[in-house]
Amino acid sequence: MSYIFPTMPTQNTNNSRRDFLKKSTAIAALTIASPVLLKAGENDEKIAALFEHIDLKLEVNGIAHTLSVEPRVTLLDLLREQLHLMGTKKGCDHGQCGACTVHVDGKRINSCLSLAVMNEGKKITTIEGLANGEKLHPMQEAFIKHDGFQCGYCTPGQIMSAVACVKEGHANSANEIREYMSGNICRCGAYPNIVDAIMEVKKGGQLL
Amino acid sequence: MINFDYIRTSSAKAAVDVKAKNASSQFIAGGTNLVDLMKRGVTAPEKLIDINGLPLKQITEDAKGISIGALALNSYVAEHPIIKAKYPLLAQALNAGASAQLRNMATIGGNMMQRTRCSYFYDVTMPCNKREPNSGCGALQGQNRMHAVFGTNEKCIAVHPSDMCVALAALDATVNITGTKGDRKILFTDFHRLAGDTPELDNNLQKGELITSIHIPTNAFNKTHYLKIRDRASYAFALVSVAVALEMSGNTIKKAKLAMGGVAHKPWRLTEAEKFLIGKQPTKENFIAAGNMAMETATSFGQNDFKIKMGKTAVAEALQHATRNI
Amino acid sequence: MDNNFQPTETYFVDDRADGIDKVTGKATFSAEFQLANMVYAVFVCSTIAKGAIKNMILSKAKRAAGVLDIIYYLNCPNVPGYNPYAKDPKKKGYEWGGLKVFNNNLVYSNGQPIAMVIADTLERAVHAASLVEVEYIKDEFDTDFEKSKSDEKKLIKPTEYIRGDVDAYKNGEVMVEAEYNIPMETHNPMEMHATIAVWDGDDKLTVYTKTQGPKGAQSGLAKNFDLDEKNVRVVAEYVGGAFGSGLRSWPILPATCIAAKKLKRPVKLMLTREQMFTQVGYRPQAWQKIGISANKDGKLTGITHKAKSNTSRYEDFGEGIVNVSQFLYDCPNVNTFYHLLPLDVNTPTWMRGPGPATGCFALESALDELSYKLNIDPIELRIINHATIHPVNKLPWSTKFLKECYALGKEKIGWQNRPAIAGSVLEDGMLVGYGMAGGVFGAGRGQATAKGILKADGTLLLQSAVSDMGPGTSTAMANIGSQSMGLPLSKVKFDLGDTDLPNGPTQGGSGTTSAIGTAIMAVCTALIQTLKEMAIANIAAFATLKPEALKYENGIISIADNASINISYTDLLTQANKPEIEVIKDAGKTSAEAEKYARNSFSVHFVKLHVNPTTGVIKLKQIVSVADAGKIIAENTARSQMVGGAVGGIGMALTEEVFIDNRYGRYTNSNFADYHVPVHADTPPIDVLFVNKADNIISPTGAKGIGEIALVGVAPAIANAVYNATGKRVRDLPITPDKLI
Repeated sequence: MSYIFPTMPTQNTNNSRRDFLKKSTAIAALTIASPVLLKAGENDEKIAALFEHIDLKLEVNGIAHTLSVEPRVTLLDLLREQLHLMGTKKGCDHGQCGACTVHVDGKRINSCLSLAVMNEGKKITTIEGLANGEKLHPMQEAFIKHDGFQCGYCTPGQIMSAVACVKEGHANSANEIREYMSGNICRCGAYPNIVDAIMEVKKGGQLL
Repeated sequence: MINFDYIRTSSAKAAVDVKAKNASSQFIAGGTNLVDLMKRGVTAPEKLIDINGLPLKQITEDAKGISIGALALNSYVAEHPIIKAKYPLLAQALNAGASAQLRNMATIGGNMMQRTRCSYFYDVTMPCNKREPNSGCGALQGQNRMHAVFGTNEKCIAVHPSDMCVALAALDATVNITGTKGDRKILFTDFHRLAGDTPELDNNLQKGELITSIHIPTNAFNKTHYLKIRDRASYAFALVSVAVALEMSGNTIKKAKLAMGGVAHKPWRLTEAEKFLIGKQPTKENFIAAGNMAMETATSFGQNDFKIKMGKTAVAEALQHATRNI
Repeated sequence: MDNNFQPTETYFVDDRADGIDKVTGKATFSAEFQLANMVYAVFVCSTIAKGAIKNMILSKAKRAAGVLDIIYYLNCPNVPGYNPYAKDPKKKGYEWGGLKVFNNNLVYSNGQPIAMVIADTLERAVHAASLVEVEYIKDEFDTDFEKSKSDEKKLIKPTEYIRGDVDAYKNGEVMVEAEYNIPMETHNPMEMHATIAVWDGDDKLTVYTKTQGPKGAQSGLAKNFDLDEKNVRVVAEYVGGAFGSGLRSWPILPATCIAAKKLKRPVKLMLTREQMFTQVGYRPQAWQKIGISANKDGKLTGITHKAKSNTSRYEDFGEGIVNVSQFLYDCPNVNTFYHLLPLDVNTPTWMRGPGPATGCFALESALDELSYKLNIDPIELRIINHATIHPVNKLPWSTKFLKECYALGKEKIGWQNRPAIAGSVLEDGMLVGYGMAGGVFGAGRGQATAKGILKADGTLLLQSAVSDMGPGTSTAMANIGSQSMGLPLSKVKFDLGDTDLPNGPTQGGSGTTSAIGTAIMAVCTALIQTLKEMAIANIAAFATLKPEALKYENGIISIADNASINISYTDLLTQANKPEIEVIKDAGKTSAEAEKYARNSFSVHFVKLHVNPTTGVIKLKQIVSVADAGKIIAENTARSQMVGGAVGGIGMALTEEVFIDNRYGRYTNSNFADYHVPVHADTPPIDVLFVNKADNIISPTGAKGIGEIALVGVAPAIANAVYNATGKRVRDLPITPDKLI
């Protein structure tokens, strides 16, 4: 058909099922990306020139950084792609899974929804900053002991969230832990083990 | 996401001036909804005005009630001793929303400003009158399981997703606003709009206006409960939610305030059921009657038919729960 | 049943071998390798369900800051595997399986990658991708499973099985006939699929990618790009979950390689969560109908099991949904039908427990329904119909401890408290219900190769190219190595996830432990033999002995009947002047002896739950999962696999469902806010019990397999408990609150 463009037509194994275009009543249509973005895109050259990188000072795991970033860069992408701190994970990029949980001035947040520039002057702690050198944080120890993970991808977020959960005073019962840890999804389903780990740390009463 | 201009300000006046002058500018506070919408291309402001430096984070109590700054974090408010002691309904509703991490980012004002979670609003390839006026409503005859049963029209059947706002609607809060023309206040129940002919508008803020605080009047509600029914046990938007605030004297209901979430373009007050309950005893029969009354004017769209029955049971259960220790 | 069975001794119980890396953030997943000069790619995806691209307008996107290239069908470099007749028009060469990304302008489904934007930063690539405009020629499409499943003309590939009389259930004394539906479910591992590709010239390719089979990915890439296999290296050191989505290669893999070759720089591409719904498979939607009958005493007399599940328009994907009804219980008359329904959606693939997970939902629900009609306890009903000989191939099972599973779980959950009449008992104001259901999966054993290097410092390094998506392969293999070599666990390390290592199997179908474990045992046996021979050759005290006269334990070789004459491995290697000894061993597939047996793992799941009598909201109180999985190699990780499977089953039963708007052929909940994966608050305490009896017929490791049976049967157990609590039989998953009011 005229509107099947190159490259080479496929040598299909089941052509009868793939020649739908021959018998179709084709309707030409313009489907476009987001109108608001396209509108903005028209100005893109201008925008690229206009919007300078913004100076940003923040502290990550005790190390001061002086950076220059585009305002649209999220804290998560700054950590991963610019500071190469890959321990903080991208699991959804929309605040729906908790894999990107870090502490900002001691509070747990989703770094995927925080613009990096909004963290000017703040102290960020990531999973890389939790252990004291080779000495694991009690929560890290407890996660290993209770096998609070399988694949390990959500684990940094779970641990950062768990530390905050205890500090906030929301680890007084298994049910309270379950509720206050529900912002951290684990697809491997290590939840009961994670709850056990947090209970143990809470009972241990260590200063976190 | 386009690369936008980013400015910080510590003055409310400066913030509203910039906003009023720039059609494509938006305030950003917690960012939990706005950054998400920008990532999806639903909105693309050319200028973000970071208002986190404004002094609007305080909770202050006076004889008339309590004022909560618009930039107070959801978690801070939910954990605040006065809120927990005197406005437990609000604390409960706040904790029913989102996750601990998001509540540490999201502000009270931002919570009020959050947009609907309708799939068609979020997917820029789909029709949505709210996102793109006159493009049609995808949900009307589409996936509308999560959608509204009150105050709808053919232009929009989206719901407001907040839990907190349901409690504030029940608690007769007022909203303090500042703008280029000065300060004003409006009733919380008048803050959000029904879709009407302008589904693109979620609320009655005028151009450039900024929420500065909310005020909740002192009350004598001694039986309250926030019930949220959802598809998983936590971290999910409401199918239906109910905020109940009762003032009981002995075994008699003196005052009743009821509001529902997940059912309308704004928190939905159940005024008929409220009137019915006044002077009544807290019996199962009365609560079922209140539930039935609450849903009398509801209309559904296929996949959300269940919300009418669920609304009835939710109202009854929330009332039952609020009064269970009598 | 045998009440006096003695569980097999387990290996050491110890922490996960890679635990420290995972809790400190040091574990490096596919997208996390740092390569110099690397750039970022982002997919542009189709926004129609079917048709062709008429035109792509790239001007805006190309103008955007930082854009290096945009690859699509008009400028996609030649990919040998896309043109299987290019070398010889008469003879078909290798053809890339699945969607040939950027090969032509056809659109087969919504969310299909149709272009790729490469830029110097992630933000710039994402933004530029949003500026690509596409003109389509739209075609009529069909994504409506509900509607089209009844149209016989649309169904393909009916497969049929008949044993005894067809539809015998219709004449049964007591009969149940019912339809069961499961929606599309997605794997959605927490790590989104990601690939980094880097070329060294035109003939050497290194790829860091999420895969359950590095060797399979390597072989496919080598053929697709016409490269020598040894010049393709696939690294999958850590895999952030997969559950089947990593069993085959998807468009992201060739696309990233194409871009890296064209740009001559390392290119990284990570899918978005939304793209995880449209590009890496899912569990197909399925309709099932079961007719099942029994005599009044509970003996099954007939089962008819029909199923239809969806596939895509461009590939046929089917799975053994109805097979469970053929063999799980002893029944003289069984007939099954299975049809595929092609729709204009992306291709489904194997997802945890593929086939039986879906089939057991229907069969185990129907049996539960039958138990109420018969007024026979559902466990008793299953015991009455217990199969001792596989009803299809008439072979005895290598091992089968299903009855032991019933007994263990029944006691643990407190089955005696189960309400005899459904919907009759309140506990703390809530309706209380108990349910149970069984699960099964094949327990095969694939080919695997392993290498062992015993060093003079007394450490043992084991290697195989398998990847570990989470079950704990390195932990289990280190355990087997430790036991087989007589070395402490701390001295044994298992390297994996790199095709430079010896050939390992694809991790799937619960067969990793038995396959590689067998190879590791062979490696260790050979190493021990070498050590013994070295001792005889080098150490005077052993000089006159034969290897059989020597024994080994705790890193020491000694004379079997005189342990005082001994030498440590370390000293032996030192004295023999060998820094290390190395052995590579291949373990073939299941032995001929094993072919004389039917081979399966079994599970039984028990559930206790509460249902709010007013609102219909379910609260799980307890799950007990019991497995006949052979010998348990590493108890900690085995238990975690079972717990994880139960959580997956909770999702299947209560929360997970992909929604499609059939007017647009587009998913409407392709995100983690609207596609509900279970969270902490959904998960009750979960008890795991293992029969732990070795199956040495399947493999010398004694293991059968855990990954699939951990999930298979959980959903019907929950549905059965919901019925027990409420008297409402929900046959359409998931059981959301609206279905119980």
